Parts: sequence; structure tokens; C-alpha cells
Amino acid sequence: MKPPILFTILLTVISGTMIVLMSSHWLMIWIGFEMNTLAIIPILMKKSNPRAIEASTKYFLTQATASMILMMGITINLMYSGQWTMSKTLCPMASTMMTIALAMKLGLAPFHFWVPEVTQGVHMSSGLILLTWQKIAPLLVLYQISPTIDPNLLLPMAMMSVLIGGWGGLNQTQLRKILAYSSIAHMGWMATITLYNPTMMLLNLTIYIIMTLTTFMLFMHNSTTTTLSLSQTWNKTPLVTSLILMLMLSLGGLPPLSGFIPKWMIIQELTKNEMIIMPTLLAITALLNLYFYMRLTYTTTLTMFPSTNNMKMKWKFDNTKKMILLPPLTVISTMLLPITPLLSILD
Amino acid sequence: MALVHKFLSGTYMFRKCPKPGVASCPFLGTRFVDYCSSSLQKPVAGPGKNSSEGDLQGHHQREVALNITSPEEKSEVSFDKAIKDEIKSHFRRLKDDIVNYWIGPEGRPLHEVLLEQAKVVWQFRGKEDLDKWIVTSDKTIGGRSEVFLKMGKNNQSALLYGTLSSEAPKDGESGRSGYCAMISRIPRGPFERKRSYDWSQFNTLYLRVRGDGRPWMVNIREDTDLIQRKNQMYSYFMFTRGGPYWQEVKIPFSKFFFSNQGRIRDAQYQLLLDKISSIGFTLADKVDGPFFLEIDFIGVFTDPAHTEEFAYENSPELNPRLFK
Repeated sequence: MKPPILFTILLTVISGTMIVLMSSHWLMIWIGFEMNTLAIIPILMKKSNPRAIEASTKYFLTQATASMILMMGITINLMYSGQWTMSKTLCPMASTMMTIALAMKLGLAPFHFWVPEVTQGVHMSSGLILLTWQKIAPLLVLYQISPTIDPNLLLPMAMMSVLIGGWGGLNQTQLRKILAYSSIAHMGWMATITLYNPTMMLLNLTIYIIMTLTTFMLFMHNSTTTTLSLSQTWNKTPLVTSLILMLMLSLGGLPPLSGFIPKWMIIQELTKNEMIIMPTLLAITALLNLYFYMRLTYTTTLTMFPSTNNMKMKWKFDNTKKMILLPPLTVISTMLLPITPLLSILD
Repeated sequence: MALVHKFLSGTYMFRKCPKPGVASCPFLGTRFVDYCSSSLQKPVAGPGKNSSEGDLQGHHQREVALNITSPEEKSEVSFDKAIKDEIKSHFRRLKDDIVNYWIGPEGRPLHEVLLEQAKVVWQFRGKEDLDKWIVTSDKTIGGRSEVFLKMGKNNQSALLYGTLSSEAPKDGESGRSGYCAMISRIPRGPFERKRSYDWSQFNTLYLRVRGDGRPWMVNIREDTDLIQRKNQMYSYFMFTRGGPYWQEVKIPFSKFFFSNQGRIRDAQYQLLLDKISSIGFTLADKVDGPFFLEIDFIGVFTDPAHTEEFAYENSPELNPRLFK
């Protein structure tokens, strides 16, 4: 794609999200969502092969349906309250419709089916934007309507997302699908805590975006899309291989890495709100996620995967891809735990 | 020939070790893991793989329907029982699916899937193997070609035979005709859910066939969810020798070219191997007359010497849309 065109499209994507974040008028929020959806389609089709076009079509259909339901919710709210301003008081029907619409946009179960298919079909860089930037706008709208969300609707969706994210990722050998199921599981965690302490949701979102960004950049650096090709990276870029270990453990939520912070805070908040079963189930199902991250690190970093002799003595070429943000992002993704008390600035 | 031997004897994985384990090494030393794997079920090889030349004769006789029952033996057909059996079989398949999910991808442990370097996907050893294929010809549009599929001698191969006729159907709109095809059925899971094959760790298609010298086209279709994609396929040619000896055809997946609605497109795309739906063999060489193709098995394998990713280039002159 030519740079001026790419710049314009990216600017539209960013503007769409910014409009959603800064607006208090429901119609402007909807317009922001639409701008975002329409502008990301050419980015998803960057490598225009039939698979990418199918993925973009699926993405567009899902997001358009979600926007339709959101508009329906907005209209019902207008009918009941008589005004377009986003406020904390929404009628229950409007709140339900908006929650369902935002769940579809985020990929929360049972509206998660598009996430692995779309992420697998597009290029790595497009998948990166899909799983990080595209989550910001819906989650921030969820943040703003959190007082009126029905817990009986959102909590089962969140629980199902964590389960499906863990279960679905178990047998995957394609890296993009693994990250897609990881995203579904993380959205489940965020949706759970939105009802009780939305600030923790922002914390989880920030750390999730940084970790996913770093993971995608590491995979793009090695040009790997399958577990098998990732398992051969010890020969080509041994440093990156060891970084993958730290990153996967951080994504899995193991202390003393950064990924533990949101899990710890969320479980603490939930127990403070006298919920015992929910955080227990969340913590147990997080083990499913940890299992497939650990399997990835086992084949990649912890063991030398069997390979043919010509692989063992492969001539190493210098990698020409410039990933300038990779070192700081890696540090943030793994070493943030000691400054956890400082994260109360998000309040 | 050595590759055939490897396929048939099932020794196409890395060296096996007695039990899995991690070699104990000093703390900072490299850990080597021994991956243990059970051998894959090899195709049942008959005692004599050489089919005689007599097999090649008598293929031009018309095939009659095989399932005509005599008037005395009328089987009882109970509609309710059939429905109940069908539902039970679907639930059984769902249960097997869930159990296999715990074991690993495709119902096998992950290390076995990752270490696999060759796999037999379709083989013809019994009538149930023929049920996985559909044969079609231009009879569906009013042409006169005929095609049949049956098991070969000793149940060691499948024989696709028939007569090609390029006489156009007299319907006032078709100008050309004359094709016969054998297409694999789309793999289905419980409740007829569409499945697909994941061949992303392999890079070459391997066919053991015996033909009559005609050029065939091998077509691969990817998994389709959307309507437009059912006309898209990736093809390459298979030239058969026609001799009494079996022919091993190896086609790298990088050689497959893209076509839509039967026309080869200017914009060429690489065949992505993670969602393969079906494979097919088509004969449309405009030569009227009988034909046959005997297929032993169809497999995929990794050829480490083949490093090409995609054989065709897109150019700005032919397709400016791709270079905007």
C-alpha cells in the first residue's frame, strides 16, 4: 500500500477511536465506531489474497451487525430518556442491547467465533492492530456504561469467554489463532471486573495491549506463523527465543512478571466484593491458557526441538526488520510488577 | 521408490526413542528432548504390489449398478429407526471429538503432529474409502462423458475410468464440453460440521498413480465460508505416463496456480495450507475416448530441499490493483 494512502487510513482508524473516546453524544460514538470499522478493512486486506478478503468480509459483517444493535440500543435510550447525551443512567433494555453489541465488537463469547478466523486470515501486522487497538473503543464505552450493565448478562459472557479462550487455544498450532484465543480469554477477565472496579479493567487493558504488541512484534521479527517454525528460531535468533519464554509466562499471568498484575488486582477486587466462586473459576481456567503458553515455550525455548542437520548449522543472516519499540516494550511486559502501587494513577 | 517404501513402512518420523524424557544436564546446559512417537498406521500393503497387466483390460465395459437386491430379500426399512441411529451416531461422534480434543490436534498428541513429515491422507483399501469421493462429468450439463469409480485389483487401489466425449450438449448455450472429475468429499464432523485439513507443515503433494498417458489436472479447494469462494481453486497438472509401472507424482504446493470460475486469473495467490477442503482430479484434454486412472494413495510430505514459497509473480502491468 502506498505510504500516503496507508497514512490516511491509519489516521482514520485512530480518529475513529478518538471520536469514540472523546464524545458524549451517542451518535458521535456510533460514527466513531463506523469510521473505525470501515477504515480498518483496507488494513486487514493489506495482503490481498482470497483468505484475507474472506477475513475482512467476516470482520465487516460482524462489526456492522454489532453497530446496528448498538444503534438500536441508542435509539431505545433516546426514546426513554429523550436525549442523546451519554449518561450513567440507561434504561435496562438499552443497556442490554449495548452490552450485547459491545460484546460482539470485542469478541466475547458467545460472539467470539469471528476472532480466530479473522486473526488467522490476515497478515501479522493487521492482526496486531485488530487485537490491540480495536479493543480500546468498545471497552471504553463499556467502562462508561458500567453502572447500568446487568451482571446476569455480562458475568456469564465473561466466564464463557475465559473458558472458551482457554479451551479453544489448547490444540492450536497456528500462532495467530493462539493469540486470538488469548485475546478472548483476556476480554473475559476485563469484562468481569468492569462491573466492580472499571479502573482495574483499564489496567488490564493497558498491560494486555503492551504484552500482545510485544508478542506480535517478536513473531513478526522471526516471520513465523506456526508453532513448528517458531520452534526453529533458537538457531536463527537465540535472544528472541529467550524473550518469547518471558513473554509467554507473562501472558499466562505468572508472578513476578507484569502479566500477574491484572490477575492479582482483579482477584483482589472480586474478593473484596464478596465474590468467591467467580475468581476461583477464573483462576482455574487461567491455567488452560497457561498450559498452551507453556507448551509454546517448551517447544521453542526450553527444549531443542528435533530438526534436520542442516538446520543445526544454519547460516545466520542479519535480520533487516527494524523493531525499534521491541526492547522497551519487552521490559514493560515483564518487569512492571514492582511498581504496581504506582498504577493507582489510573484512578 | 525409497520414498514409497518410507510411506508404506510407516517410518517417516524422527528416530524413535523408548520413552520420552529430558536428558538431565547441568543447570545452564542445553536440554535435549527425546520425542517418542508411536508409528503411524501404515497403509495395508498387499503381498504383491505389482498389479498385472490384465487389470488394465476390460475397463471399457459398462458398469451396472451393484446394489440390486433380489426380490426375495427385501430389506426392512424403518424410517424412525434410521433417524434414531443417525442422531445416536452424531452424538457418538461428538463425544469422540471431545475426547480427541483432550488428546491433541486431530486426536493425536501434539508432538506427534508437530514432528510429522509425511502423511497419507487418502488411500484406497476398501469400499468405504470410495465413499469419500464424488465422481462427476459433463453429464450434469447434458454432455455425453461417462465416469465410474471402483476398487482396483486386490483392493489395493481405486480405478477411475470412463469415456470422455467433447460433444457439446445441444441446449443452445453450451459451446464446449468434455470433462470428468473425481473430487473428495469435504470432511465432516459431528452434526455435519464442515472440517478442513491442516497441511501447513508439509510442502509437497505426493500421488502414487498409474494412468494412460493423459494429462490430468489436480485441483485443491480451500475451506469456504463465503459464497464467492466456492468457485476458487488452485490447480496444477499431472502428466501420466501410461506404462504398467506405478508413477510417483510429487507436486510442491508452491506450484499451484489460482483460478476463479474456471479461468486462470492474472492476480496469482499462494495456496495457503492451513484450511484445505478438498482435492480433485479433472480430465478435460479434448481427446474423445476411453480413459482410466488408477490411484494407490494420496499423501503429503515435507521436502526439505524445496524452499520455493510461491512460483508465480504478480506484475504491475497485469494487475495494477495489487500494487496500489
